[in-house]
Amino acid sequence: MTGKQTRSTARKATPAPVRPTAVQPPPGPHVAVLGAGNWGTTIAHLIASNGNAVRLWTRSSELADAIRTERVNRRYLDGFDLSEHIWPTNDLALAVRGARMIVMVIPSSGFRAVCRQLAPLVEPDQAIVHATKGLEQHTYRRMSQIVLEETCVRRYAVISGPNIAREIMEGKPSGTVVASPFPRLIERVSGLLTGPTFRVYTNDDVAGVELGGALKNIIAIGAGISAGLQLGENTRALLITRGLGEIMRLSLSFGARAETFSGLAGIGDLMVTCASEHSRNFRLGRGLAAGKDVATITAQLGMVAEGVNTVAVAHDFVREHNVYAPVIEAIHAIVHGGQHPIEAIRELMVLDARPDVDLG
Amino acid sequence: MINENDAPRIAAEVVARVYERCRARAARPGGKPLDEIINETLYHERRRLARQRGRDEERAFYSGLRHRLGRASEAETQRMLHEIITRYVEEISGHFDPNIYRVATRVMPVGVSALLTGLSPGRLLGSGLLGGGLLGGGPLPSLEQMLEIHGDVETTRRLNELGTVLYVPTHSSNLDSIILGLALYQAGLPPVTYGAGLNLFENRIIGYFMQNLGAYTVDRLKTDPLYRDALKEYSTVVLEYGRPSLFFPGGTRARAGTLETYLKKGLLGTAVAAYRNNLERNRDRRIFVVPVTLNYPLVLEAATLIDDHLQISGQSRYIIVDDEFSQLDRWVAYARGLFALDMHIYVRFGAPLDPFGNPVNEQGESLDPHGRVIDPGRYLMDEGAIVDDETRDAEYTRMLARGVVRSFFANNIACATHVVSFAMLHALYERERPSHLYRFLRSLGPETSLPVDQLLATLQRLLDELGALADDGGIQLGRVVSSRRAEDVLNHAIRRLQTYHTRPVIERRGDRLHVGDANLLLFYRNRLEGYGLLDAPTLVRQRQEAP
Repeated sequence: MTGKQTRSTARKATPAPVRPTAVQPPPGPHVAVLGAGNWGTTIAHLIASNGNAVRLWTRSSELADAIRTERVNRRYLDGFDLSEHIWPTNDLALAVRGARMIVMVIPSSGFRAVCRQLAPLVEPDQAIVHATKGLEQHTYRRMSQIVLEETCVRRYAVISGPNIAREIMEGKPSGTVVASPFPRLIERVSGLLTGPTFRVYTNDDVAGVELGGALKNIIAIGAGISAGLQLGENTRALLITRGLGEIMRLSLSFGARAETFSGLAGIGDLMVTCASEHSRNFRLGRGLAAGKDVATITAQLGMVAEGVNTVAVAHDFVREHNVYAPVIEAIHAIVHGGQHPIEAIRELMVLDARPDVDLG
Repeated sequence: MINENDAPRIAAEVVARVYERCRARAARPGGKPLDEIINETLYHERRRLARQRGRDEERAFYSGLRHRLGRASEAETQRMLHEIITRYVEEISGHFDPNIYRVATRVMPVGVSALLTGLSPGRLLGSGLLGGGLLGGGPLPSLEQMLEIHGDVETTRRLNELGTVLYVPTHSSNLDSIILGLALYQAGLPPVTYGAGLNLFENRIIGYFMQNLGAYTVDRLKTDPLYRDALKEYSTVVLEYGRPSLFFPGGTRARAGTLETYLKKGLLGTAVAAYRNNLERNRDRRIFVVPVTLNYPLVLEAATLIDDHLQISGQSRYIIVDDEFSQLDRWVAYARGLFALDMHIYVRFGAPLDPFGNPVNEQGESLDPHGRVIDPGRYLMDEGAIVDDETRDAEYTRMLARGVVRSFFANNIACATHVVSFAMLHALYERERPSHLYRFLRSLGPETSLPVDQLLATLQRLLDELGALADDGGIQLGRVVSSRRAEDVLNHAIRRLQTYHTRPVIERRGDRLHVGDANLLLFYRNRLEGYGLLDAPTLVRQRQEAP
C-alpha cells in the first residue's frame, strides 16, 4: 500500500479538492466492480447510489488515484460526480476478497486474462456478474463460459441492454436485463442496480442475453456504413430487421431462445446501437463508408470497437455451422476483407429473396 | 452397499421425508392438496398399467384407492398418501432378504462367471457347487481374466474412506451391473448399492442375483412425480448414510452404441442434495462422484439395441424386455466368444468430481480449474449460512453432468472393433460422398465392399488421429489399438466382428472387405462418435448437455 501512497503524492498534476485519501477501504460488506471504463464506472455509481459500498478496480493506479481524489472519472465519464460510496483501487485482491458480488466490465479481449488473475482470489460462495458485450475469438466462448472455465465461481449472471452510460448518468429513464440460471442472484443484482430512473428486467436465457449484446455490434457497424453513405431510413430499417434475423439464427444454434430477442437485450440494444451516432461501432462504420481502413479508424477512435472482433468470430461461426447470414458476411468482407461498402451492398441486393421471417 | 440393518431404517426414513414434504407443501398457500397428489398418482399409474400386461395386484390396489378417495376424510386421505409412498419405497428398496443377501454377496463374483460361461442360476444353485470347490476358485473359467480395470483405483479406494463415493457409469449392456460389481470386487473396492432398472430384476437369468444384492429398483415407466420424488429421496438417503452407490446417469442402455452426451438430472442431483443435508446437520461428509466407462469389444445386445435406435424416432421402445439378455442361448454364444477370443472388457474409473463438477484430489479436496483447494460447502452458502435453493442446486447438477460427460469422452477406451468399424464406414462414405446420409446408410449391404488396402489407409489415418488425441488425454486406447499398427488392428477386429453376431459385421473375402451387417457396423462405429475424428459427419443426433 505504501507504494501507492508515494506514487499518488509524487505526481499530483492538477490540484484536487482536499479530501482525506483513504488507502484502506472502508470496512463492511462491499461489491466489487472490475473495470473503470464508462460502463463500469456507471454501474459502480448505480450500485453505490443505492447506499452500497463499492470497490472499483482499474488496472491503472493513476486513474484509481484520480477518481479517489476528484470523485470524477475524467478519462471515461467526464462531467459526472461519482458517489462517495465508490472506493477506487488498482489492487485486485483488495477489491474482490470478501466481496458480496463481483461485477466484471472488462473488454472481451482481456476478459479471460482478468478471470485468471481473479481465480486465486475468489471463493465458491461468491458470485460473478458481467456486463461485457463480446465473444472470445477462436473459441466462440461467451463471457459467462470463461468465468466457469477459469474460476471456482459457479453462480454467475449477465447484465445487458440498451445502456448508453452517459444517458444513465444523466438520470434519463433506462432499463436493462439481468440474466442468470440462479433466481436468487438475479434478485440480488436487481436490488443493487434498480434506482429511480433505472429499471431492471429479468431473464434466465443467459446465452440469448449475452449473444444479443455481442452480435448487435456487427449490425451497428452496418448502420454506421449506411449512415455514412447517406442511404436513408428505409435502408436502416432493412438492415436492422434482417440483421436481427441473422443474430437470432446464429444465437439459436448457440442454444439461445428466440423470445429473448424481442426484449431489451435483443431488439432494444440493437435499436440503440444503430441509432446512436456516438457509439464506436457506428463511427467505425461511418469511417469505412468514407473509404478509410480499420487500422486508421481505430487509431482515430483511440480504442478498438468490439464489433471488429465480434464480426470475425461470427463470420467463422457462420461458415463452420452453415448459418444463413449474408449481412454479417458482407460486413465481415468490408471490415476484414477490404471490400468497398457499395460493392458489398450491391451483392446483397441481388441475393434471392427469402421469406421475411425465417428462423430456421 | 446397504446392509441388513440399514435397509428398513433407510426405507422408513425415505417414507417419512417424502410424506412430510407433501404435507408441508400442501400446507403452504397455493400448495398442492393431498387428494390432488393422490389423483395425480392415479392418473399416471393407471396410464402406465393400461400399457402393461398382468400386474393384477397393482390394478386392484389402484382401483381400491380410487373408490376410497371419493369419500375420504382428511385423516383417511393422509393414510392413503402414506400407503402409496410406502408402496413405492418398498418397490424401490426391493424384497430384501438378509439370508439370501449374505449368500449372494459371497457368491456374486463366482455366480457371474458361471452365468457368463453359460450356466443358468438354477443349474448353478442346483449343482451344489456353491458351497464347495467353486468358492475356492474351482473349475469354471474365470471372468476375472477378461476384465481389465483401468484408471486411478487407488484414489477411488481412498475416497471411499474419506467420504461417500457415487459411481456413474456409461451404459451399453445389461451386463454392465454385473461387470461393475465384479470390477469393484476385483479392485478391492467396497460393494455398492445399485440403482437398476426394474426389467433387470424381472429378468429370468440374472433377476435372482439382482434381487438380493442391495440393489434398488428404478422403474422408468413410472411417470408419477411422487414416485420420482421417492426414488430421488431413496438415493439421497443412501448417500447420506455413507453407503457408496451406483446408477446409470444416461438412464437406459445407449441404443446407438454412442457415449452418453446428455444425462438424467434427477438421480444425479442427489449428490448435491445428500451433501447439503449432511452439511445442514453439521456433518462435513463429502460426496465424490466417480464417472466410470465400460467398453466391450462386442456387446451382447448390440443387434436389438441398434435396431431399436433405427426405428423411426419416437417409436423406439424405452424399455426392451425381450432382447438377447433374456435369451440363454445368446448368453452362451456370447460367453463362448469372450473366452475363445480372449476378449477384454474394459472398466475405467475416471478422475473423481465433487457434486459441483470440480475435480477432487487424493485427499478428497475439491480443486478450482487451476488446482487450488477450495471449500465446496461454500457453494451452498449465502452470506455465511447454508441456504436451501432447489433451482441453484439443479444448475449445479447441470454443471456436474457436463463434467461427467467430459470424463466419459476422455476415459472412453477405443477397442479394435470400434476403430475398424469407424474406418470402414468412413472409407465407404468418402468413396460415395452421398448427399443423403440415411439413404447411404440404408444402401449398405453384403454387396458393399472395399479393397483391404483402401481400408488400411483410412484406418492408419484414424489411428494417427486417435494416437494424438490419446496423447492429449482426450481418449484412451485399448491394448491392440495402442500399437497403432493398422494391419494388426484390422486382423484383431475382423476375428471378433465375425464371431458372436449371427451375421459377421465385416467379412473378409480375398483382398476385399464386405459389409456383413450395416446396422452393427454403425453400432460399433458410434462408440467413436462426437470426437470429430477424420472430420466425419455426425451420424447420431443426440441431445447434448448445454455448454
